[in-house]
Amino acid sequence: MILRKCLQVREQSKACLQWARAKSTFTDLIDESGQSGVILKSMSTDIYENLAMEDWIHDYVDLQNRKILFLWRNGPAVVIGRHQNPWQECNLQLMRQRGIPLARRRSGGGTVYHDLGNVNLTFFTSKKKYDRNRNLHIVTSALKRLRPNLDVRATERFDILLNGHYKISGTAAKLGRTAAYHHCTLLCSADRALLSAVLKPTCQGIKSNATPSVPSPVKNLLDEDNTLDCDTIMNAVASQYNTEFGFSSPVTLVDPSDEFSFPGIHKMSSELKTWEWTLGRTPKFSISASFDLHDNSSRQNASLNIDIKNGIIDNCEIDLPPHWLPSDVRREFCMLLVGGKFCPNEMAVILAAFLRTTSQELKTKTYNLYQNVVSLM
Amino acid sequence: MTACVMLRCLTSNFNSALPLLTRSAPFLTYRLAPRAYIQRSVATASRLSTALKFTDKHEWIKVDDEGVGTVGISSFAQEALGDVVYCGLPEVGTKLNQQDEFGALESVKAASELYSPLTGEVTEVNTLLADRPGLVNKSCYKDGWLMKMTIDNPAELDALMDEKAYERYIRSIED
Repeated sequence: MILRKCLQVREQSKACLQWARAKSTFTDLIDESGQSGVILKSMSTDIYENLAMEDWIHDYVDLQNRKILFLWRNGPAVVIGRHQNPWQECNLQLMRQRGIPLARRRSGGGTVYHDLGNVNLTFFTSKKKYDRNRNLHIVTSALKRLRPNLDVRATERFDILLNGHYKISGTAAKLGRTAAYHHCTLLCSADRALLSAVLKPTCQGIKSNATPSVPSPVKNLLDEDNTLDCDTIMNAVASQYNTEFGFSSPVTLVDPSDEFSFPGIHKMSSELKTWEWTLGRTPKFSISASFDLHDNSSRQNASLNIDIKNGIIDNCEIDLPPHWLPSDVRREFCMLLVGGKFCPNEMAVILAAFLRTTSQELKTKTYNLYQNVVSLM
Repeated sequence: MTACVMLRCLTSNFNSALPLLTRSAPFLTYRLAPRAYIQRSVATASRLSTALKFTDKHEWIKVDDEGVGTVGISSFAQEALGDVVYCGLPEVGTKLNQQDEFGALESVKAASELYSPLTGEVTEVNTLLADRPGLVNKSCYKDGWLMKMTIDNPAELDALMDEKAYERYIRSIED
């Protein structure tokens, strides 16, 4: 009986605590603190959680008379701009092999590689106070305070260059209803070899009106000065942010997976992970490719035209003489592709079903054709 | 009888004058004041069709005789954005509530979100903008229109600013 009572009390207190915590969301806490400048640092290294944190702050925090600086780092990830084509920007096959996720952010701009050696800085303001130059000045001033001889400066394109040549930071931004955010990367000690490898697209022959990236040579700040690690730099930027705006904000840790403090954030990070957002939001594009097909005795050149809309194959034409593959087989193969996602997993399923109905002698040739099509994905 | 004929002439003249008015944006003048009266008297014209109306997010909507609204951004907005390099627009058939985010315009400045001026369904999207996003800057009231939508709730339209009110609004935020 005592045990039952104890369990009851435990359940009631848990419910009470949950209610109390729900009432004190992050917005409530900030409003109560009355601070006009807030510096936050993420406890998460998950790209989707951190991007969701940005969206959450933008949508739910009153930024009319307040500024927020958000500091965050992620495990290896490739992040494309809102209107970009990932097939045109990065090596999706290598990313799949290495387990490097693809994320599409809501701001514009180009493609970047993130890992724990890269620092991300997001400057939240009202729309009126949106000022990228001022924000980048904070970053360059912070770096120069650490190392007065460091040659870092912002360009017209809002990049930051080291020694006038190497890009160490790129910028993107989003303007919403009443608020805005400007975020930028900062290369401290990123894996440059992996960066170059994943940012080299393998798919050729793409025709698209998606916004392109502007490739640049890059360098890590740590290569220039081996005391410039991520933590040192984040602290310096936080300090300079306070100086610039006359704030005295400490760096507050936030957990982007905390649904009580940030109600609705889990739904936001889930949406960012969906295929429909990351790949399905790619602007309409087409691919024209040609390749050599082989069987045991001969070679045949084939050409392929595919139209892809919302990441789904809209139209597929393969030019291949009938002596290689009968026209009806070729046509049926094309028809099966239409309506499917431009995705190797989906292709594999379609192929498996198709091969079951194909005659033995054509299986090898069909499989060869399939491999060439998948190599584009 | 003669009065009816006169009214019909007036309306048809106004309809052909409307493109001229919109071309000289943003300095539109509202020449035919008793238009609403004329609309009610002439049975064939739709009650909904209007001159440009504006939201506080610098979007405009113009409703045609069939009750379909064309949506775009104002001259003030396109100038603030800078050169548009990409127009992210919704799919035809998308249902939008007033103020729902329906897309974004990307310029050197940022990706700027677009908010639906009214509640309705997207019936058409300006496909010219795919290859020529700069039309939004060059011809924001005409060739640079963004999308067309149905008007599910006409009362929302009445609450939007007319051209004079919008000009006053711009002056107030510029100060």
